[in-house]
Amino acid sequence: MSIINIDKELCTGCRRCANVCPVGAIKGEQGKVQTIDEHKCVVCGQCVQICSSYASQFDTEITSIDLKLKERGMLEGTKEPLFAAYNMGQVDLLKKYLSDDNKYKIVQCAPAVRVALAEEFGMEFGKLTPGKMASALKKLNFDRVYDTNFAADLTIMEEGSELIKRVTEGKNLPMFTSCCPAWVKFAETEYPEILNHLSSCKSPQQMAGTIFKTYGAEIDNIDPSTILSVAVMPCTCKQFECDREEINSSGYKDVDIVITTRELAYLIKDMGIDFINIDDEEFDKPLGEYSGAGTIFGSTGGVMEAALRTGYELITKKSIPNIDLKFVRGGQGLRTATVEVGDLNLNIAIVSGLKNVIPVIESIKEGKCDFHFIEVMTCPEGCVSGGGQPKLLIEEHRDVAYKKRKESIYDHDSNLKIRKSHENPAIKKLYDEFLKEPLGHKSHHLLHTNYVSRKEI
Amino acid sequence: MNNNLNSFVVADSSKCIGCKACEIACFAVHNKNNNVGCTVGTVETAVIPRLYLVKTPSVTMPIQCRQCEDAPCAKSCSVGAIRQIDNTIVVDQKKCIGCKNCIMACPFGAIDLLPQYDNGKEVVQFNLKEESHNGLEEIVKSTAYKCDLCIDNGEQACIKTCPNNALRLVKPLDEKKYKNKKAAQALMNTTKNYKQL
Repeated sequence: MSIINIDKELCTGCRRCANVCPVGAIKGEQGKVQTIDEHKCVVCGQCVQICSSYASQFDTEITSIDLKLKERGMLEGTKEPLFAAYNMGQVDLLKKYLSDDNKYKIVQCAPAVRVALAEEFGMEFGKLTPGKMASALKKLNFDRVYDTNFAADLTIMEEGSELIKRVTEGKNLPMFTSCCPAWVKFAETEYPEILNHLSSCKSPQQMAGTIFKTYGAEIDNIDPSTILSVAVMPCTCKQFECDREEINSSGYKDVDIVITTRELAYLIKDMGIDFINIDDEEFDKPLGEYSGAGTIFGSTGGVMEAALRTGYELITKKSIPNIDLKFVRGGQGLRTATVEVGDLNLNIAIVSGLKNVIPVIESIKEGKCDFHFIEVMTCPEGCVSGGGQPKLLIEEHRDVAYKKRKESIYDHDSNLKIRKSHENPAIKKLYDEFLKEPLGHKSHHLLHTNYVSRKEI
Repeated sequence: MNNNLNSFVVADSSKCIGCKACEIACFAVHNKNNNVGCTVGTVETAVIPRLYLVKTPSVTMPIQCRQCEDAPCAKSCSVGAIRQIDNTIVVDQKKCIGCKNCIMACPFGAIDLLPQYDNGKEVVQFNLKEESHNGLEEIVKSTAYKCDLCIDNGEQACIKTCPNNALRLVKPLDEKKYKNKKAAQALMNTTKNYKQL
């Protein structure tokens, strides 16, 4: 079973999924059942978001809903309607582990989850609920509720330093971000010749996983082999990423199970937790502490903004004059700017929507690309519109939902006391006590990775 | 005398792609009382739309109520649960006894009889129980569902949500006047050409 699938019984062949697929992986004639080319598919889940062909509870000619729930890895008794395009769930598996007291269960949550999860309980679009989410996760029997936002700050330390190094040496420019696993898979499949342009940094999810099973195990005095590392993600491709063979530098699989925002909601409902009225709780420290820079990773332009906040200060040794870099925000598929960082004029680009990266790659191949740093996110608005996010019932709500989720991300950032990754005290402590320095020996071993060509010859 | 014929929604089969987005939108706007919010996760009841995607080898399009002027469904209803309000034929689900007369009377299959929900829970029948192994058990109440042109919302969710603009609200009198004008224009063009010969 692949991660992204189309249910043959339910597909009506409308091909809306094929229209949103950024890589043309969905094949079939109009009006006929569609299939997915697994090699091409980047597992972004946009087809899951758009599909409106559902299983009617009154259709006796199709496989029973109970059986379908089982086939899809969903929880028994989940009430929501099932659609033709779906992602293979991990929540049923996770539920079994949650009651296993021999496992030390650590969870991390991506920044885009806390601005959308509440929608699954009927709250308004983009409602920001980090405290409720942390509280619900504790009630679900996790031993540590940590945060991907922390690892986003860590990513900035490594990726920012890597950019500075590459710009200084004039090597492998432009440098692309590597946080988005669908983008990485796309580059590996279609353009392996540019893989040396990708940052060697693991994504925040994988950095978090590694740190939990090394430093995290040390500070909690836990045998890392007993740790179950779980990630809650807005993204369907994060499961693909955590299953990559090379991602095990802690000595174990860095992240064991990934569930989506929607699956976390199933679990909260299944356990009878009253999400709307639950009291706020804090994330556990130190690996749940984060800055505003870490939180904006969930929106297109966020990684760039976070990197610039830190990069500017590391290079110039001066405080950045204006922390809100609004010129990198927005929704267009390609945004570009030139930023003065000390003596350096840094040419940057932000790409959202995978189709928009192709002309950029072509310009690199022609030797005509003068950008230094490029952020790429596969989904249209970044992770807030990811394939694992709450799915909308009515098409006209799409734009407003994405807009509200983004606004919430930036509000969260501006209301946090610490808004730069390098000022996160837990990050400073991690380097002091464990990693020593960005791009150092230990960082290199634990936090960086390499890529493989997946091109079919 | 009121000569304002009832409007109704029709689909253009050449545009319909069969995605069922109309069914989902219809369900969503009619189930706010069942705590259905904006996302799929808020749905805890069966999906009950009031229009029905028809898919045959030759045609794909949703079919829904024509809001008939002398509505046979209303005429057949023995308890007066179907009435005309603001040029729309509407079912009062509190009054409906699930007799299915309306299903038999409707020539378009635009009415369905399915379980009724309130506050996300199935409504049980007031006075009828079913014999089972565990003694007498409550039975879920069924009720008639049909298109009410989104009478409580002012705009038709199916039309608004269709990604291919395959649905439109037909206003019969406007339709007639438009066709009259087109006929007049066509005739004028023909006559003009005739004179030139």
